[in-house]
Amino acid sequence: MFEQMQNWYDKRHAYAKEWKKNHPGGKVLGCFCTYVPEELVYAAGVLPVRLLGSHEPQSVTEPHIFGMYCPFCRDVLAQGLQKRYDYLDGITISQSCLHIRQAYTSWQMHVPTGFSYYLPMPNCVQSPHALSYLKGEFLAFKNALEKWTGNEITDEKLRQATELVNTNRRLMRQVYDLRKQDNPPMTGLEAMYMVVSSQMTDKNDHSKLLEKILKELPGRKMDRQTGARLMIIGSEDDDTAFIKMVESVGATLVVDDHCTGTRQFWNETELKGDVLTSIAKRYIDRPACPSKDWPERRRLPHILKLAKDFNAKGAIIIQQKFCDPHELDIPAIIKDLKKNGIPSLFLEFDVTVPIGPFRTRVEAFLEMIGQDDLF
Amino acid sequence: MITAGIDLGSKTIKVVVMKDGKIIGKAIGLSGFDQREAAEGIFDQALKMAKVSRADIQSIMATGTGRKEVLAKGPISATGEVTEVTADAKGAVYFHPKARTVIDVGAEEGRGIKCDATGRVVDFATNEKCAAGAGTFTEAMARALEVKLEEFGKLSQQSTKTIPMNAQCTVFAESEVVTLVHANTPKADIARSVHDAIANRITSMLRRVGIEEEVVLIGGVAKNPGFVDALKRNLNMNITPLEEMDIAGATGAAIIAGEK
Repeated sequence: MFEQMQNWYDKRHAYAKEWKKNHPGGKVLGCFCTYVPEELVYAAGVLPVRLLGSHEPQSVTEPHIFGMYCPFCRDVLAQGLQKRYDYLDGITISQSCLHIRQAYTSWQMHVPTGFSYYLPMPNCVQSPHALSYLKGEFLAFKNALEKWTGNEITDEKLRQATELVNTNRRLMRQVYDLRKQDNPPMTGLEAMYMVVSSQMTDKNDHSKLLEKILKELPGRKMDRQTGARLMIIGSEDDDTAFIKMVESVGATLVVDDHCTGTRQFWNETELKGDVLTSIAKRYIDRPACPSKDWPERRRLPHILKLAKDFNAKGAIIIQQKFCDPHELDIPAIIKDLKKNGIPSLFLEFDVTVPIGPFRTRVEAFLEMIGQDDLF
Repeated sequence: MITAGIDLGSKTIKVVVMKDGKIIGKAIGLSGFDQREAAEGIFDQALKMAKVSRADIQSIMATGTGRKEVLAKGPISATGEVTEVTADAKGAVYFHPKARTVIDVGAEEGRGIKCDATGRVVDFATNEKCAAGAGTFTEAMARALEVKLEEFGKLSQQSTKTIPMNAQCTVFAESEVVTLVHANTPKADIARSVHDAIANRITSMLRRVGIEEEVVLIGGVAKNPGFVDALKRNLNMNITPLEEMDIAGATGAAIIAGEK
């Protein structure tokens, strides 16, 4: 059912090249962060694709990025340096953390494209001035997109693009809702393929497939036991090998707080009054990346609500090694979950994970939370 | 009921045979390259000591890093498997009922486990991808100082000096040791410094899960009196190294085999 999505994810470059072939004159924009407003990019007739790593060891980034920057930003830059995204017409980043920003600036320097745009997304989204500031930045981004593509971005086009992106978000939430069931009709791995592929394909294609899936999914019978219901929380994560391992030892991931998951699509843009302001509000209000979640830590009640709504019995907290923003939040998250009866297991990602030792830790965690059934 | 627990560690294999909650046979041997063959031999030794045959064993539980690879291919067919964390807690509380915190330091892995009175795991932490908090680290340092492993711990007890050492990586720590050697630092002081460094790693891991008394120590490194002293200094509390430090995990597995 989700094979096509896995296929898109596995063959992301082939998909984008094919898209260009089918859209003569169409441009593809590589995005370094999910805070890039997709509504604006689609309104310009451009396909936004999220730049992700390949989970293969590499040695090409060493001269450009410090060794203690996160493995994800290094892996992403390696894709550029190895010319795997040679079809991109442009790149853009919305400010989130310094590590990924260095991947962006280094890419800009060493793999130049016809368009490169740094979008200064405010970090203090809780400031009362954040919205008007971001609206101004979105306007500048819109102007830059118009100049680059030669396409005028009218309010009408923005409305249409918003509807397109919103539909995709809504459909993915409907799929997620089915995971609340006692026996979810899908795995966490499939959910990951769904969300990550939505970040690298045309929303028209993706939503069409989602509509088809939503017809069949409620009646789908899984040939596996659900086991322990787990939530997964952390930084960028498209480590499918890890997710697969977790779900092979007696657990199912039922919900997540990842930017390759709920953080990216959870809320919709509500068009009220000025269009750009409406879109900006959506990005100010979305489930925050930890680099933007202060002075108040709004992630805590949000994560707890997800855990309760999806009836998670435990949480895996996994972060990219050296990811400072996540490291800032993790002690507070562990404490908060514990206070609310949800034990957690903390692990660190690298470009590849040591599956053997990680399996033992996940199994020990499952034994710990499932002891009443075990003995 | 006769049950057995096999702990397939990265360096040694431990087997315990139990009858109605009492240990009637045990054996320990090196894992070597062919873990399966080694496991067979050690299993037979334990059976011999217990004076029982394979057919008498009603349930076998496997634990340790090699549990999957070895048991998937037989010929000892385990009834089930359990992780080192769960087995350790069960075994430690069996030997020392008041244990609430179990420290297990093996050849390549260090573990801190918080458990309840029945030996159930409440929380745990293990060392990351690094041997600095494990037995192999001690071995490498003893080698660098040209001291026999058995004497290394005792040697450290002769020193009263604290030299800070940042043991994040076994190889880099060895170069720190070499620097100290060049500076004509007495061997005993370096030995103590090495033990303090491992104890430090283990303690910080333990603080993540929280420490509750009483604290027991298992795993091969518990045999090292220098490490035990360093750990006591670091935690500033009493720690009991279990006499059956080697076989706590295997015993836990044998008990769980009976409960299943």
